[in-house]
Amino acid sequence: MLNKVLIIASYTAKEIIKSKILLNTLFLGIGLFIVTFVAYSFSYGDPTRVALDFGMGCLSLSSVGISIFMGVSLYYDEIDNRTIYQIISRPVSRGSFLIGKYLGLGSVLFLNIVILSVISLILYFVLGGEYNSLILWNIIYTVLEAFLCLAIVTLCSLLTSKVFSVIITISLYISGHAISGVKLLTFVEKRPALEAIIDGYQFLLPGFYKLNIKDFLLYKNDLSLSYLFSTLGYGATYILALLLLSIFIFKKKDLN
Amino acid sequence: MFELKNVTKKFNSDLFTKEFVAVNNLSFELKMGSVTGFLGANGAGKTTSLKMIMDFIRPDSGEILFNEAMGIEKSKILSNLGFLPERPYFYPHLTGREFCIYMGKLSGLSKSDIDSQIQKWGPIFKIEFALDREVRNYSKGMLQRIGFLVTLLHDPKLIILDEPLSGLDPIGRKELKEVITKVNHEGKTVFFSSHIISDVEEVCQNVIFIKDGALFYEGTVEKIIGENSSGMTTITFSENDELSKLTIDSDKVNDQLMKLVQEKKEIIKVSRDRPSLEEIIYNVK
Repeated sequence: MLNKVLIIASYTAKEIIKSKILLNTLFLGIGLFIVTFVAYSFSYGDPTRVALDFGMGCLSLSSVGISIFMGVSLYYDEIDNRTIYQIISRPVSRGSFLIGKYLGLGSVLFLNIVILSVISLILYFVLGGEYNSLILWNIIYTVLEAFLCLAIVTLCSLLTSKVFSVIITISLYISGHAISGVKLLTFVEKRPALEAIIDGYQFLLPGFYKLNIKDFLLYKNDLSLSYLFSTLGYGATYILALLLLSIFIFKKKDLN
Repeated sequence: MFELKNVTKKFNSDLFTKEFVAVNNLSFELKMGSVTGFLGANGAGKTTSLKMIMDFIRPDSGEILFNEAMGIEKSKILSNLGFLPERPYFYPHLTGREFCIYMGKLSGLSKSDIDSQIQKWGPIFKIEFALDREVRNYSKGMLQRIGFLVTLLHDPKLIILDEPLSGLDPIGRKELKEVITKVNHEGKTVFFSSHIISDVEEVCQNVIFIKDGALFYEGTVEKIIGENSSGMTTITFSENDELSKLTIDSDKVNDQLMKLVQEKKEIIKVSRDRPSLEEIIYNVK
């Protein structure tokens, strides 16, 4: 089974790479470089911090954007174009197919993040920035965030249309970041019922805010290892749960 | 090779539309070693039936059983089965060879096995010249050929083809029909759907005809033609350099031929009046 997963993943990545998507990454990287440099040039105080903030922010947004907009087509187009028939008419389980495609796009996403990170960090270090282990953790969390978005859009695309899948995923992404701030509002604090709903949301739906450590990276420069690893575990578990649910649905789905 | 037992499939696009019965209590058995045509008008339920056989969609009721020669576990059955979907789509940025290797690996073949299969089938399908081009540059006929090639790559016992000849030019159709006959002579069972009835008559021993999702006829091509023949024979003969035709009961052909010979008439042609499968099907429709 693992062998089939790896075969599907490698050919999925090959197909995506040959479609010249990484060329877009290169253009994105050049854009990121220019924007970061401009932000650095126009800022006062601690310009290297601005460069890092811009770099990591753009990295996060672009990788999430790619994961959502490419991920939504990953399975939907396979079913719509019936290329899936060529694969699952062979001794390949639907689960292997789903995971293989996920890892295939995931590996391209990873490569994309690595390229953009390198471009961003080259500029940061050239401008005199100092190494901090949280930079690496932030990049790991960016990968995790992109993979989580990919898992959400995968699940949605098995249940609904492409447009709805994108809308739902973006909504979850935004609310998942904003929810921790919402809970701190006085308006919410005064209303226990609303607070309970937000607690329920935080318990059930993806807490993207946990993966956002930029404030610590930029201002505090320290975060406990237990937090870092537990958040890593949270993200990985959430992705695994979403993929298992997707496999369950995919196995039941009529591939018309 | 497999058997459908009272299979029914209904579709319901939403809560407010009436249920549509695509396949209605369909039962038939596919004989091992045969070439069987799966006939029916557009919307008769052919593709839906094939999708259920391939487990792409599940029947609402009934069952589909494969015999022991195909295997018991699903993975074993699929490794003995080759399927070509209707209007096959491919990954546009992979080359034909890459796609063959991809499919071969998924079927558990080694690289050397895949290469030898490509060497065997490439020239037969006349596609070897294009194997290193990206599939997005292939014509429709070339897509059909590469699709057929990957269907045969893992040497399956059962080959299921959904409208394999549609959209091909006459030469392409002839060549693919020759391949169907060739693989059948090699011992493979072929089951293919088509609405080109003359093609089915040409290559198939058996035919399964469905109408409105239900079985209408199952049997040999010869039998259905025999059952629908008039039983008459036409003798064409020449008399004083003029051609004449005589249509008589087939039982009396020998006597009539003797008589014509004794009368010094030249026999040009003796042909049994038999309708084509196409004529029979059109009458049924």
